[in-house]
Amino acid sequence: MPDALSRRRLLATTLAAAPLADCGNSRPWHDIDVSGALPALDLTMRRAPGGAVFTQADVRGKVALLYFGYTYCPDVCPLTLQHLAMVLARMGPVSADVRVLFVTVDPNRDTLAELGRYVALFGPGIIGLRGTPDGLGRLARRYRVAYSVTPPGGGHGYEVTHSSAIYAFDRTGAARLLIPSMASSAPDIAGVAADLGRLVHERPSLLRRVEALV
Amino acid sequence: MRVGRALFAVSGFGASGPGRRRPWDVASWLLVAGGLLVWWLCARFPAELPPFAPWEFSLVEFLGTLLPALWYVRGLLRAPAAERPGRARQVAFLGGVGIIYAVLQTHFVYLAQHMFFLNRLQHLAMHHLGPFLVALSWPAETMLLGMPGGLRRHLEAAPVRIFLRVVQTPLVGGVLFVGLIALWLQPTIHFHAMISPLLYDVMNWSMVLDGLLFWFFALDPRPSLPAPSSFVARLATVLLVMFPQILMGARITFGTHPLYSYYDLCGRLFPQISALHDQHLGGLIVWIPSSMMSSVALMLIMNNIRLHEDRSGGGGQRDILAPGGTVISSSSWTGR
Repeated sequence: MPDALSRRRLLATTLAAAPLADCGNSRPWHDIDVSGALPALDLTMRRAPGGAVFTQADVRGKVALLYFGYTYCPDVCPLTLQHLAMVLARMGPVSADVRVLFVTVDPNRDTLAELGRYVALFGPGIIGLRGTPDGLGRLARRYRVAYSVTPPGGGHGYEVTHSSAIYAFDRTGAARLLIPSMASSAPDIAGVAADLGRLVHERPSLLRRVEALV
Repeated sequence: MRVGRALFAVSGFGASGPGRRRPWDVASWLLVAGGLLVWWLCARFPAELPPFAPWEFSLVEFLGTLLPALWYVRGLLRAPAAERPGRARQVAFLGGVGIIYAVLQTHFVYLAQHMFFLNRLQHLAMHHLGPFLVALSWPAETMLLGMPGGLRRHLEAAPVRIFLRVVQTPLVGGVLFVGLIALWLQPTIHFHAMISPLLYDVMNWSMVLDGLLFWFFALDPRPSLPAPSSFVARLATVLLVMFPQILMGARITFGTHPLYSYYDLCGRLFPQISALHDQHLGGLIVWIPSSMMSSVALMLIMNNIRLHEDRSGGGGQRDILAPGGTVISSSSWTGR
C-alpha cells in the first residue's frame, strides 16, 4: 500500500542516483560530497540561552553546519569551533548566510545558560542547541552519530565521547557535505570556506528542493 | 473454558485440515499490530529503549524475522507428534532467526555502525551464521504447515520458481555469495552504504537473503534430482567460495592504509582502538570465520551424502557367497 514511508523510499531511491545524473556539471568539492545519501535537516531542540524552540525551519534559506559536542570538552570542540569561526571570518560578509548549529550531547550537564555563554565565545554565527535525550537520540540516529555519556564511578571520571565530523546542509535543508574533523592542527580553512561559499551562492535547483523533502 | 477454546480456534493455532474453512489469521495480524506499536514506541522514546528493542525500527525487518518464527511455531503445533522435527532442528531454526533479528534490529546495530570489526561481525551473523542455522533446520515442511494459505500459493508461483532455479546453481550461487561480500567491502560503496539509511537497508537485506539462498542450496539434504544440483557440485561450491573470502580478509588485515573512512567521520565506539587496528580485527573476522563455516558445511554435506547412501541401500556393499552355502554379510561388521 503506497504510504508516506514507501513514497519517501521511492523518492530516495531515485535521488540516490541523482549525483550520477549531474556529475558532469559539478566541480569537485574539498570536503566529502554526501548529496542524496544523508537525510535532510530535521531537528527539534531548544536554542541557548533563551530556550526558544528551534527547528530546521529556523535555518531554512541559510547554509547550516551541524556539529555535536559538549561544553566541558577539553580539546576537540573548542578547536573545532575556533576553526569554524576562522572559516566564517574568511568568508567575510557572505558568512551572514551561514549558521553553525552546536548540539550538545551532554544535556544533563550543559544547561541552556552555560551553552549560550560557551558559543558566544566563538562568534555570532554559532547557535547552541540543547535537546531532550529522546530528541538527541533521534537526531543522532538520523545522521549516524556516535556519542556516549558515562557518569563517574568505577575508577574513572565523567566521560563523554562524540564524533567530530561536521554536516553541511544547503539553503533548502538538503544534506550536501561531510566536513572531516576540523580539530587537527592544520585544517583546510580555505577549502571549507570555498565549499560553503559555493553552497551559499548556489541557485537551488528543482532536484535539491525535492531532495530536501526526503 | 469455552471462550478460551473459541479464541484458540479463531487464532489459527489449532490443527487445520483441507476440509475446514480457514479461520482468519489472527495471530499474524496481531504480530503486525504489535509491530506498528513497537514502531511508534521507537519513534517516540528513542533514548529509553531496552537493548533488545529495535535501534532503527524497520517494519520489513521486524515482521520478516518474527512472522516466519510465528509460522514455524504454529507449524510445530499443527504437525502430528511423529512428524515434528527433532529438538536440535527446532533450536537451530529459532536460534538462526533470533541471531538475524538481534543483528538487524537490536541495540547491536548501533555498535555495528560505529566500529568496523563489529560491522564485520554483524555481516558474519547475517550472511553466514544465521542463515546457516536456518538452512540446517530445513524448515520448509513445518513452515508450510504454519503459513497462511494465500502466501503458500504465492511462494509456489512461477516467477519465484524460475528465480530459485537460476540462483540456486553452483556458479550463480557461489559468485553471488562472494560477490556481495566484495561489493559491500569496496571502500566508496561501504562509505555510502553506512551513511545512507536506504543503502544500509539494501546492504543488510541483500546479505540476509543471499545468505539464505546460498545455505539452503548448500545444505539441502536431498540428492541431485529433487535438489537443484548434485552433492559433488555443492561440495565444490562451498569449498571454492572460501578462497576469495580468505584473499579479501587477508588484504584488509595486512593493509597499511585505513580503507574505511566512515568510522573516523561518524565516531568510533572505542576511540582507543585506532583505525588501522580496527581494520585488522575486521579483516581477521572476514578471513577466519568464513573458512570455518565453509569447512563445517563441507562436513555436513558429506554427512548428507552418507545419510542418502544409507537410505538408498547401504552403499553398494553386497553380501559375499562363500562355498558351502554361507553368506557373509557386511552388516555383521558395519552394523548397517
